[in-house]
Amino acid sequence: MALIEVEGVHVRFGDRVVLESIDLAVPEGEFHGVMGPNGAGKTTFFNVLTGRVKPSRGSIRLAGEDVTGLRPQLIAAKGVARSFQIMTLFDDFSARENIMVGLPAFRVRGFDMHRAASADSDLAEQASDILAMVGLTDRADVRAKDLSYGDRRALEIAVALGQNPRVLCLDEPTSGLGTDGVQRLSQLVSQLKRKLTIVAIEHDMEFLFSLADRISVIHWGQVIARGAPQELQQNEWVKRSNLGRFA
Amino acid sequence: MAPLLVLDQVRKVYTRGRVVRRPTFTLEADLAIEDPSIVGVIGPNGAGKTTLFEMMTGSNAPSSGHVYVAGADIHRVKYRERDRLAIHYHQSYQVRRFSKLVPSVLLEKSPTAAPMVHLFDEPQFNLQDGYIGFMLDFFRKLRAEGRLVVLCLHPTAAWHLEVLTEIAEQYLLVGDGGVTRHPDFASLTGHPRFQSYLGPEMMRAAEALCVGRAGAHH
Repeated sequence: MALIEVEGVHVRFGDRVVLESIDLAVPEGEFHGVMGPNGAGKTTFFNVLTGRVKPSRGSIRLAGEDVTGLRPQLIAAKGVARSFQIMTLFDDFSARENIMVGLPAFRVRGFDMHRAASADSDLAEQASDILAMVGLTDRADVRAKDLSYGDRRALEIAVALGQNPRVLCLDEPTSGLGTDGVQRLSQLVSQLKRKLTIVAIEHDMEFLFSLADRISVIHWGQVIARGAPQELQQNEWVKRSNLGRFA
Repeated sequence: MAPLLVLDQVRKVYTRGRVVRRPTFTLEADLAIEDPSIVGVIGPNGAGKTTLFEMMTGSNAPSSGHVYVAGADIHRVKYRERDRLAIHYHQSYQVRRFSKLVPSVLLEKSPTAAPMVHLFDEPQFNLQDGYIGFMLDFFRKLRAEGRLVVLCLHPTAAWHLEVLTEIAEQYLLVGDGGVTRHPDFASLTGHPRFQSYLGPEMMRAAEALCVGRAGAHH
């Protein structure tokens, strides 16, 4: 049984079909890439997967349990964490605090406990571990708004990791990053690979083709192609294109 | 089984003027496509390709005649279920809205849950990203599943014609107020309307493709 099982997901906004029919099965520990042209429905698919959009038809199962239509916080509580295309950090909090307020142990205590939480060595320690994982140890006390773009991306992933998720959904993690930023992210993702199940929407083909176990190509609200990077690269038109270079 | 798509003496007229109505645009089509297939649609801007697609998917009602998809008159199906019969994939700027005169309760349910006719309106083909290959495979998959794939292309480079001849099994040429059907690329290339639309330079590429394909068949 796959960890994530999506079957026949159909989404329409009024007269407009956004997702025609999406099927996807991701086994535990897989890094699954999602690519496709703009407007293909990739982000809507993530919104369905994480509970922000309820599908008109179809089902989503997590470890065999039907989670279709559950609210985002309930799906998150079942171990699905997500980073966004647009970053969602608390700008005036330090990197460490951003992670701490996202920790499940902190959240059960409520948000008025911020000062007390800073003093809580347990939470701080957890946050430090995560900061080390994403390479932000020496930036722990820098306010989020003073971090570089690449560091903010890493911090976003760190916040998601703070939930100790089983599934990590990344929406265009390399967007806005320079060459060294992408390289650093690749290293981070390679470390996380196998420990977590990762689903990543990505435009950077080099990144996806070098890291993903399998890739789904979404277009017209459907999966138009799927396979390991080597399989997709067998296509004659792909060989003629820039994608062929990444073989 | 009912034919996948029937345009039964379909006629669309756009008129101008309130008292004396003068037609500004006319499109007529009368054809039936029985079986799963990949159909290339070609025609100059303003010839009526989009109007044809809109009539096939039920958003734009013909002035007279009927459109049947998998046996159902698509203009008699509930508005929101028409894309369960025929679906139009277009760029968002291409979407035109039409008034819905008949209340949905008086209309019928779609007989199929997934669309039987898929219309692709000028998909963005470029050679850089490699998506063409996936798109072409996807068209073949739909066809293998028993669907009708209708693909509208606006060839502006020789390789667009290459894509077209690789994928299409038959062609519809839209222009001069009508639609003609062509069983192969050679027949399409022989039509004067196609020749004037394509222009001399692209026609040379088209003829070269015809020779190449004839050679490949022997």
